[in-house]
Parts: sequence; C-alpha cells; structure tokens
Amino acid sequence: MSDLYLIFKNLTRKKLRLFLTMFATFIAFLIYGTITSFQAALDAGVELSADDRLVSVNKINFTQPLPISYVNKVRGVAGVEEVVHMNWFGGYYQDPRNQVQTFAVDKDTLLGVYTEIILTDEEEANWLQNRQAILVGESIARTNGWKVGDRLPLNSNIFSQADGKTVWQFDIVGVYTGADAQTDTNSVYIHYKYFNETQSFGGNYIGWMGVKTASPDLNEQVIKSIDDLFVNSPFETETVPEKAFQKAFIEQIGNIGLILTSVIGAAFFIILVIVGNSMVLAVRERTAEIGVMKTLGFKSVRIFRMVLGESMLLALMGGGLGLLASLGMIGLMNSVPAPLPTLIMDADVVLKAVGVMLALGLITGIIPAVSALRLNIITALSRG
Amino acid sequence: MTSIFSQIWAVVAMNIRSLPRRLWMSLAAVFAVTVVVAVLLSFLSMARGFSQTLEGAGSESTAIITRSGSRSELNSSMSNETVKILSTAPGIARDANDNPIYSAELYVIVDGIKRTSKTEANIPMRGISPVGFDLRENVEIIEGRLFTTGRNEIIVGAGVLREFEGFEIGKELRFGNTEWTVVGVFSTGGSAFESELWTDARTVQTQFRRGSSYQTMRVLLETPGDVSGMVELVENDPRLNLDVETEAAFFAEQGEALSYIVIVGWVISFLMALGALAGALNTMYTSVSSRAAEIATLRALGFSNTSAFVGTLVESVLLSLIGGAIGAFLSYIFMDGISTSTLGASFTQVVFTFSLTSDLFINGVWLALIIGVVGGFFPAWQAARLPVMVAFRQGN
Amino acid sequence: MNDEILYDLKSISKSFVKGKEQVTVFDGLNMSIKQGDFLAIMGPSGSGKTTLLNMLGGVDQPTGGEVWFDGNRVDTLSENGLAQWRANNIGFIFQFYNLMPMLNAARNIELPLLLTNLSKAQRKKSVATALELVELSDRAKHMPNELSGGQQQRVAIARAIISDPKLLLCDEPTGDLDRHTADEILQMLQLLNEKFGKTIVMVTHDPRAAEFAKRTLHLDKGEFVEKDLAA
Repeated sequence: MSDLYLIFKNLTRKKLRLFLTMFATFIAFLIYGTITSFQAALDAGVELSADDRLVSVNKINFTQPLPISYVNKVRGVAGVEEVVHMNWFGGYYQDPRNQVQTFAVDKDTLLGVYTEIILTDEEEANWLQNRQAILVGESIARTNGWKVGDRLPLNSNIFSQADGKTVWQFDIVGVYTGADAQTDTNSVYIHYKYFNETQSFGGNYIGWMGVKTASPDLNEQVIKSIDDLFVNSPFETETVPEKAFQKAFIEQIGNIGLILTSVIGAAFFIILVIVGNSMVLAVRERTAEIGVMKTLGFKSVRIFRMVLGESMLLALMGGGLGLLASLGMIGLMNSVPAPLPTLIMDADVVLKAVGVMLALGLITGIIPAVSALRLNIITALSRG
Repeated sequence: MTSIFSQIWAVVAMNIRSLPRRLWMSLAAVFAVTVVVAVLLSFLSMARGFSQTLEGAGSESTAIITRSGSRSELNSSMSNETVKILSTAPGIARDANDNPIYSAELYVIVDGIKRTSKTEANIPMRGISPVGFDLRENVEIIEGRLFTTGRNEIIVGAGVLREFEGFEIGKELRFGNTEWTVVGVFSTGGSAFESELWTDARTVQTQFRRGSSYQTMRVLLETPGDVSGMVELVENDPRLNLDVETEAAFFAEQGEALSYIVIVGWVISFLMALGALAGALNTMYTSVSSRAAEIATLRALGFSNTSAFVGTLVESVLLSLIGGAIGAFLSYIFMDGISTSTLGASFTQVVFTFSLTSDLFINGVWLALIIGVVGGFFPAWQAARLPVMVAFRQGN
Repeated sequence: MNDEILYDLKSISKSFVKGKEQVTVFDGLNMSIKQGDFLAIMGPSGSGKTTLLNMLGGVDQPTGGEVWFDGNRVDTLSENGLAQWRANNIGFIFQFYNLMPMLNAARNIELPLLLTNLSKAQRKKSVATALELVELSDRAKHMPNELSGGQQQRVAIARAIISDPKLLLCDEPTGDLDRHTADEILQMLQLLNEKFGKTIVMVTHDPRAAEFAKRTLHLDKGEFVEKDLAA
C-alpha cells in the first residue's frame, strides 16, 4: 500500500460519481483535442510556410493580375533564386459545388520553389513532358478516387475556351505527397502554357509569383527591390513573406482563433464547475476520515497532496481518455471527403493537453485540498 | 388521502425550499446548462445573421445573370454584346421611354484593413450603372452624396465603414496607381451590399483595364419571380452560356455558405450537453442522497413514490431551465448584434451581424429541457425506489 | 512493574472562547501517568474528559502549563512535530472505530505504517502479527462494512498497536458495543496492558468498563475527584 493506493481508493469509492465526473472531463478533452488539432492544422498553413519564400501580388489585391513579363524581371533581382508564377483557374470537378483548388503554373519552376511537393522521378518527368499534365494532391485524389493515368476533366468557373467550352481535359501524371504530414495536399497543378493558349480571355497575365530567395536574411532586401521595380507602373506589386500572406489569408475567414478558444473555454468552464464541486463534496464527506488520518500522525501537507493527487488523477484519467477519443474523432474527420486540412495530433498538442489536465486537476483540487490541509482534528472528529 | 397533485406539489415545494442547502451543487448544474445553451445560441445566431444578410440582399423582382457555373459574381464575366442581346429579352421591365431597366456591373476586389486584426482583407468594389442604384431595395445615401459618373468617386457601404479602416468620407483611396475619393456612405438595411464599395461601372472598366466587358447583369423583372423569358432566350442562343435566376435565389444559395456553422454548433453543443448532463446527474444524485431520509419519511407518512419521482424530476428540470434561460439571456446580451465579417462566396468580405431570432431561442430551451429531464429521470427513479427503512436508519 | 513516569501534566490550563463566553475547562490540572498503567477516566459529560484525552493525544494544545512525555516536552511542538510524535508514540481507539471505509481490514491496520520507513515485507509481517493478535486473520480481506462492530473495533485496536506506540488512548471504546462484545474488547486491552506492557488511558462513562482498568480517575468540572475504589 502507498499514498497512490489511498488516492486511488478515495477516487474510486463512489463509482457513479467517478464515472460522471470522468465523463464530463472526457467530453471536455474530446473537444479540446479535436479543436486544438484543427487549430494546429490551420496554423500549419502558416507554420509550414518556407521562410525563404515570398509572395508577390498585385498591390490592389491578390486577385488582380500581373503581366507575365514581370517573371523574368523578378528573376533578375539580386537574391532571388527561383520564381514560379501562378494563376487561379477556378476549377471544379463535375459539379460547380465541388471546387478544386487549381493553379496554372510555370511547370519548370514549380518544384524548385515549392519543395514540399514530393513526386517520384517518373512522375516529375511526365509532368514536364505532357502539356496537358496535371499534378493532384494525395488528399484530393483520395477524396475523388483519382489515380495516375486517369484522364481528368476539370471545369473552370472563370475561364472559357475559344469555342465557349468551360471544360478542359487533363492527364493525371502524378499524385504528390507532402514533405510534412500537415502539408496541404488538396491542390492540383496544371501547365500555365496549356491554360494560357486555350483560354479565350486576354492572355499573358499571371495571378501572382512565388519567389524563393537565396536566404531568409535577404527577404527584406528582395521585397524592396521587387516592389521598387514596378512602382508607379499600372501594375504595382506588393511582395510579402509567404508566412504573412498565409496568415492574412486565414484572418480573412474571420477570427477563427477566438471562436475556437471560446468553445474550449466554455467546455472547460463546465467541467471546472462540475468537477470542482464534486471534489469539494467528496472531501467534505470524508471530513472525519481526514481527521482520523491526522490523528494517526499523517502530516497535513501529506493529506493536502493526496487530495490534489486525487483531482489530478481524475483529470488525467478523464482527460487521457478524452484525448484518445479525439484521436478517433480526428481520424473520422480526416476520412470524410471534405476540403478540410489534414488533422494531426502531434506531440505538441498532447503535451499541452497534459499540461491543461494538470492545471485542471490543480484548480479543481485546490479548494478541497486547502480545506483538508486546514482541517482541525477536533472539529473533524466531532462532526463525524 | 390527498390527491396525487397536492402530494407532488408538497414534495416539489419541499425540494425547492431545501435548495439553498445544496446551493453550490445546484449552481454547478445551472452553470453547465447556461454554458451549453449560450454556446449553441451563439453558433446559431452567427449562421442566422450571415444568411439574413445575404438573403436580405436578394430581391424577387430583380434577376441576376452570371456566366454559367461561375457561382459567384467575381468569377463571372460577359461581353458588352452579351449584355446588349440580353437586354432585349422578354420579361424585363421597361421605363417611361420604353427602355429596358438593367444594370451591367463589374466586381473587382481591392484591399482593406480589417479593424479587428489589422490585416488586409478582400473588399468588393462594384461598378454599377445609375439604374443599378435603384435596382436595390432599401438603398439610401445616409451621408454625403452619390458618386459622379466618369469620375474616380466611391460610395462605401455602412458595413465596410464599420469593419474596415480608412473609408470615411473625404478619404483618398489608392488602388494601384489610381486615386479615388470617398464621397458618400450608403445603407441597404443591413444586407450584404453594405459590405461593398460602389462606383460607376465605366470608371471601373477604364481604371481596371476591363475594356468594354462586364461581369454580371441585373434586370428589373416585369413580373417578380418570373425569369422564364430570359431563360428561354439563353437556352435558344448557343452563343449564350449563362445562368439566370432571381437575385433572391442567387443570394439564398450564397447564404448557405455558413450553414456548416449550424452543424458545427450543434455537434459542439451536443457534446457539451453530454458533459452538462453528467453534471446534472451528479447534482441530482447528490440531491436525492442528501434528502434520502426526508424522502423516506414522507413515504412512511403515506406519500406515494410518484410524488418522490416527480418532485425530483421537477427540481432537475427547473434547475436546467433556469440555466437555459440565463444562457439564452447572456447570448442575447453579448452575441445579438455583434458585427463581424467573413469570406463569402465571391472571395470577399461579407459584413454581417449576429442575429438571435426568437425561433432560435426555442432550440436552446429544448436542449435545456432535455438535459433537465434526462438528468433528473434516473435520480428520480432512485428516489422513488428508496426503501422506507432509510427514514429510520439515518436517524443517528 | 516499572515505576517510571511516562506522562506528566504540570499545572495545565485550558480555556476557549465559545460565542461570547470564555469557557475554562482546566485551571491548574496536574496529572502523571506511570509506564504500564491502565487508567480509566470517568466523569459526566462536560467534565473535560474528552478535552483531556485530546491533549494527551497531542491533537489539542493546553493554553497554559507544561506537558512532558517520556522525558520530552510535548506542548511546545509544532503541528508537524506533534503529528510525527503521535505517529511514534500514541495509538488511538475511537468509539465509532473510524476505519477507512474504502480499505480492507489488513490495509486499515497497515495505514499507520505508511508513516514509517518499514519495507513492504516488514509491513506485511507486522500486519499479519497484529491480525493474529486480535484474532482476525481470517477477516484480513474484509471491508469494514462487512465486519461486525466488535470486529471493527478489533481492527481498530490492531491499527492502534501496529507501530508499537508507548501509549494507547481509548475514547469510549465500548460505547457502541453490546455487553458481551464490550467485555471481549476490554479483555483484549487488558491483555495488551499486562502482557505487552502498553500504557493505556481509557475515557468511559461505563463503570463496568472502568473495572477492567488498574485505576480509575473521576473528572468533574476540570478537576480530579479521588474516589479510587480499586486501589
């Protein structure tokens, strides 16, 4: 027998109460684990942005075009290693509701700038050779059941071909994976050249440029050089680090962070109240026993620790199970065919969750623990 | 023997009188329900506010024509010729001079700085014809004046002014190398158009190098809701690859963009409700065990076990409903009317306000009721089955 | 028998404030307990016998005077010092047994050993010996609520002696038991006193229980009244 055994016995003496408080904790951590993983996935878009990558867009707004001639000019800027230009194709598959993030890109430089796109050598060779090639991400390929060798018709909700058709035919030459498990693989890439020659709008415009610098230290200098190059032209540019661009983009959706934090806060408020109250009650019911323990010679601090240990154990058990369940929930969410980021519960999320559990155990246990600490033996025994 | 109702009433009254003894435990159950209901109503009011904002923009008497499959005004495009052909379509209302009433419009995106996050966000700038102004319902200039055709003048929606920096009257805006002046603020009664900047369509064509092309076309319908004349024209002309629908239908579809919020809200609230249910059960079991002697004594006096059951159930439901009412009240105070913006279907910011309408309250009440009933049922069952013996045993 | 003094209370006073009134329980009480004594303290309720027992057990402190135990002063110890002292020197037996409801008999007995440095094997051995002494070896795994009152009190006795304290303090140890069981418990206390040399102080209001003691002190209004019949 040890203190831990006593703690465990105290915790489990009322099975129904234990079940209910653990269940409440379980639910809170199920929500916590799922939401923080979701948040981590959202942040991943920002976090995984390469530090040596810039995005150069039209200063009015990134949906406004830039002339293709800019690409070579930017390539000549000192400190620039590689440039890839991109156009938003407005792709959808079969139904306008089933949107596909389609980028018409410079086939030769895409893989040099976006090094997180992983292809086999054969896939890469085919991508470069075939004018109608399309690279699809692992995630979107899974969602739609696409595989290498398929002929893929994609519509554009923006562009038309000269004959008025809005559907383009592509050959899937590669299903790329991400360098990181959280790399977005919901996008598809097509050749700019094929797109530009077949669409009916005024051509030779690009959407924006992805710029790889020789070193992140040069970013500031390169940004200034690029933007200075086109100042006072009809197409002024605004160049920002990719990280900042991604962050601003997510901010556009709204203050998701606030919403998620509020939900987590609300969930924890509930268990704080429920579990905290149960702990107070549980310890109050044990007043006489604590008095006896103290009489036997158990020091107050030791009893204080045992009460706190009990609330911690409760939080860890309920929270641990909740975290496990959220792992299942994440798996479920990942398997749903929806354009959601890939959710992963990484060590960071788990560590934070354990920290929260300990904090929760501390907060819910501190009041009863202090009252147990202060409990006077004589009053305790006369009450029993 | 008293009637069952007066028995129940006696037990309920006794339970309620003894509530202060179990104050904290009871408050825990109340708070838990409060939070659950507040969370649910917040999500629902967000989705409702968004869809109201978009639905409010759509009129039955106006039709909107977009490129087929574009699904948003931003993606759509059409040539001047297309506009000309369509303007001859049957079913379009005509003015005093027998000219069709329509507005060919452009829709470009410019950057604005969000007040809350200080980051750049997409704001739609709409080029309209003078008729376009009258095609919107409830539109009025609430400050300043209308833009002058052919000049780089802009009027801003009240929502843009509220959520973004630097759009006050008299401010100079720079888009690329062109300068624009804000000359007025307009309101459309809270609808999605308030999230836009308006100016003259021709000016947008010139300054944004759009030649003579447009993106969408709005027409006033002869008969509200009837777009059949135009649909027929489009179907019979192979040159036209367009979607025609009433503006109401168009915006209703866009308003669904946040419908997933409703699902998310329900899922999260449901999970939290399970947690709150655990709290309610905990509270009520404690309540029953602390009143065990009391309940048993009543039973010994001849009270039926039904009264013990109903008495406990009523206590639980009451606590839950109080929690629900507080939650609804809090979300009404703090959520209703909150102004915010998010990305809409056109890839632009839609400014909207949370709207907690009365029909949404019902959802909160139901949720609270379910928690109360389920959370009270099992403890009540236990109370009803307490042996009379307990009354004598717990004497010491 | 050894005549050495185990416990010496010198001019003890004890008063506390109850509501607005100052209540004085003791004012200059003197008392000494010899090693190996079995002392019964009797007295009407309100006489101060429980307070006295609490002070002897170091769970209550006198407001004046000195308390000496086995040559050391006790009333000046800190709360933690007292706890340690209790663990080493005192065994308690309560009227309502005060066993831990979630622990079985053996573990209840083992509880005070958590305050020692004994190894697991040593603890197990001590518990087995104690169980044997109180004749409950076959009930080791039973939970308190599965035991009769007498059995529970015997578990409590085993718990009280497990760390071999010098002094056993019993607060109405038979108050909740029938006559026959009470006698068994008292005989057991007698055995502990005579065979194992434990000094015992027992508070009781039952004259028959007091008969098992070597001597009886009568406490009334905070003072001892000599009516030592046994001597």
